[in-house]
Amino acid sequence: MSETTPTTKTDRPAKTDQSTEADQPTEADQPANEPDVTTAADATNGDGATHTTAGETDEQVREEWREYDFEGMAKFAVEDLDVHYGDDHALQGVSIEIPENSVTALIGPSGCGKSTFLRSLNRMNDRIKSARVDGSVRIDGQEIYQDGVNLVELRKRVGMVFQSPNPFPKSIRENIAYGPEKHGDIETGPLARLLGRSDAAARDRLVEECLRDAALWEEVNDRLDDNALGLSGGQQQRLCIARCLSVDPEVILMDEPASALDPIATAKIEDLIEQLSEEYTVVIVTHNMQQAARISDQTAVFLTGGELVEYGDTDQVFEDPHSERVEDYITGKFG
Amino acid sequence: MAGATRTPLVRADASRPEAVASLAMAIAVGLIAVGIASLFGLVPIDAAIGGVPTVTALGGLLVVLGAAVIGLGVGSALGYIETEPSPNAGLVATVGFAFVWFVLGGLTASLVLEGGLAWLPAGAVTGGAAFAMTAATREDIGSTLPAGAVAIVVGGTFLTGTIGPVWVWDLGFEQQASMTATFLVPAATIACGLLAGWAAATAYGGFGARGRRMGAYLLIYVNASAIIGVLFLLIAFTAVRGIPGLLTGATVGSGVGPTVSVLGVSVTLPVAVPFVMNGVSLLNDFQGVLPAIVGTVWLVVGAVVLAVPLGVGAAVFLTEYAERGRLTQAVEVATNGLWSTPSIVFGLFGFTFLVPRFGGNKSLLAGMVTLGFMLLPLVLITSREALLAVPDEYRDASAALGVSKWQTIRSVVVPAALPGVVTGTILGVGRIAGETAPILLTMTGGTFVSGDRAADVIGGFAFTSQPPFVTNPELLQATTALPFQLYALITAGVGLGDNVSNPVEFQWATAFVLLLVVLSFYAVGIGARYYFRRRLRHE
Ligand SMILES: Nc1ncnc2c1ncn2[C@@H]1O[C@H](COP(=O)(O)OP(=O)(O)O)[C@@H](O)[C@H]1O
Ligand SMILES: [Mg+2]
Repeated sequence: MSETTPTTKTDRPAKTDQSTEADQPTEADQPANEPDVTTAADATNGDGATHTTAGETDEQVREEWREYDFEGMAKFAVEDLDVHYGDDHALQGVSIEIPENSVTALIGPSGCGKSTFLRSLNRMNDRIKSARVDGSVRIDGQEIYQDGVNLVELRKRVGMVFQSPNPFPKSIRENIAYGPEKHGDIETGPLARLLGRSDAAARDRLVEECLRDAALWEEVNDRLDDNALGLSGGQQQRLCIARCLSVDPEVILMDEPASALDPIATAKIEDLIEQLSEEYTVVIVTHNMQQAARISDQTAVFLTGGELVEYGDTDQVFEDPHSERVEDYITGKFG
Repeated sequence: MAGATRTPLVRADASRPEAVASLAMAIAVGLIAVGIASLFGLVPIDAAIGGVPTVTALGGLLVVLGAAVIGLGVGSALGYIETEPSPNAGLVATVGFAFVWFVLGGLTASLVLEGGLAWLPAGAVTGGAAFAMTAATREDIGSTLPAGAVAIVVGGTFLTGTIGPVWVWDLGFEQQASMTATFLVPAATIACGLLAGWAAATAYGGFGARGRRMGAYLLIYVNASAIIGVLFLLIAFTAVRGIPGLLTGATVGSGVGPTVSVLGVSVTLPVAVPFVMNGVSLLNDFQGVLPAIVGTVWLVVGAVVLAVPLGVGAAVFLTEYAERGRLTQAVEVATNGLWSTPSIVFGLFGFTFLVPRFGGNKSLLAGMVTLGFMLLPLVLITSREALLAVPDEYRDASAALGVSKWQTIRSVVVPAALPGVVTGTILGVGRIAGETAPILLTMTGGTFVSGDRAADVIGGFAFTSQPPFVTNPELLQATTALPFQLYALITAGVGLGDNVSNPVEFQWATAFVLLLVVLSFYAVGIGARYYFRRRLRHE
């Protein structure tokens, strides 16, 4: 669907409301639901005919805006990913490759499908009844949307941190040990104790390691048995990151992890993300453009309608975006 | 802001009017308390308080109260007291005063004129006057004058003896219903106290928004404390009546009590309370209700053991697994219906369905199962609510760690819902522990059961080599329970006579013990809820 060659059709005047236009296919041979991206002139195609409006500019999305060459291995290879919620087309043909051990930021106005995209990377969309996912997502070359995928293993490898901190109403220690215990990696139950196989020491080591990695150890090491809900918001969020690390993931998905936090807590989380990116592949959704510019290596911009408009090196996307709509968005003209 | 009235930021010293208003409020609250106490027979109205006949004293206080309220209002209107009254007292007050004065005028007219429809115009005149008075004047007059006048008029009739302790208003109905002073005086005192107390509180707050807030506070506090007071009164009443019977023959001293053996160690208790330690037998010095207590405890335990796992399991299925749709809705409607099903219907079910299957005679087990079925719907409803209230974030977080749904439910969702489940169980236990009808049909044998026949459920278990491998004759025997015993004692007088020296004391003591047993179940439940909450929260 990302066919971008200009059609021979004559340009129509730009509409002030792009979304209504996008919803109305004007060509009989065009499948419904596909946005009408070919009706407006490409804003940068040399003839200088820009169609700037009060809202977003009508423009064509070009394949090369979304091409990003990087060194090293791709962790995720996403191809033609479409997600529908019922009749609602939330993601349209997204194709993207995400390099490993780096930070990838996803930005865009709300409702453009950033969370949806993130959730399709660890199949959390399966938990939403109305969601339907088409397309292909490969992690280390292995397709995750096929029969026989072990969701437990997938989600152990691809951990997730949510927008609002959501620690379990348990002690800090239990929060961290929860995942490994449920997976049977450490056993501390009464039975294990009876059989002399209790891994209490191993658990304590794991708890300390995860909390240190999440830069929380110093603050909580004297109250590991306190309820996690007694921590501050920023501490809770770092605890959630620590909990996510406890199952030894390769990828950490973060959906606006700092949007509910104050600036100092946000700064701590940002530092943490930078450290994590040495070992983990981090994909982070953020509302905050400066944050994306600060912490990410590459940035993907989604715009209304659920399409990926531009993807590339963070400096390039922020300083010299190809797409006029992206530029408008980044400079705050809409969004 | 245009049109906004500027009021001084700091109110001038107003200690004297405030003292008057406080005193008026105190008098009003005191009058309400005396009124309630006298409705319950604690303050007889034909007696005297400190040498003054009660009715006269009440009347005097009402007049003082009314005068104080009117004084506050007039003082404010004349500018002696600094207040911030609104232009008028508001719709609710207006309608309320009109209604009160309509009733007052109408009643007076029908008493004085005897018969006819003359009360209607009379009521209309006084009600209309009160309406006009409240609506047309500024708030300080409008909300105090009608209230104070009511208190003065009512107090005056008490003072002058127009309505005395023996006053009766024969309503002339065929049923010979009559309104006596025993009811009217306290009721009128409470009503006047509320009305004038509200007005005094409004004045205390200097009228206006703040004053109305004070008035509302006064009404709310009086209402709440009256409710709590009535509850405590009920419990205290039962306790006062029940304790003598409970303590009949009680002794304290080493070696006086019965010998109990716990895990093979025999201990002789240093206290003996025959009422709760004995059964009934001809040889006893004092009779007791031990079998009934034991029966009630086992009934509740059995019902909870049956209903809680079933109810929570069903709630987990409905909430976590079943598609929300017709099925869940139907189950919801059915459970709500079951919870409101009369208990005798459950009893009939047990009688015709369970009793024949458990050996053909009434048995403890049949009673347990019947009450378990009664408890089930409430446990299901409250558990479902509690599970629905568990935030989805917990489920998401657990799923994102790769933990399976069943393990998530077991380790995160159900623990988070446990306080709610316990709350539901407490409420349900309160109902079933006092249930008489179902156990009458399914479980109870004789009213007076001897102490050695108290159900020994734990000791009754025996293991056999054939299926079902475990038997428990105790569960299959009829026994008794406190509510049934009480019912039998009171209505039929079953077993009363030589066995019990003071039947009334015995009945009250039984009621008190039932109350204590139910309250101790509450205590256990509240303790459990507190424990689970503590584990969930960080306090
Ligand atoms: N659980 C859901 N059910 C139905 N529609 C949803 C659901 N989640 C998101 N959507 C829809 O999908 C679109 C993209 O949402 P989302 O991915 O949350 O956007 P973003 O995270 O960029 O704000 C929105 O139009 C939203 O209404
Ligand atoms: Mg989102």
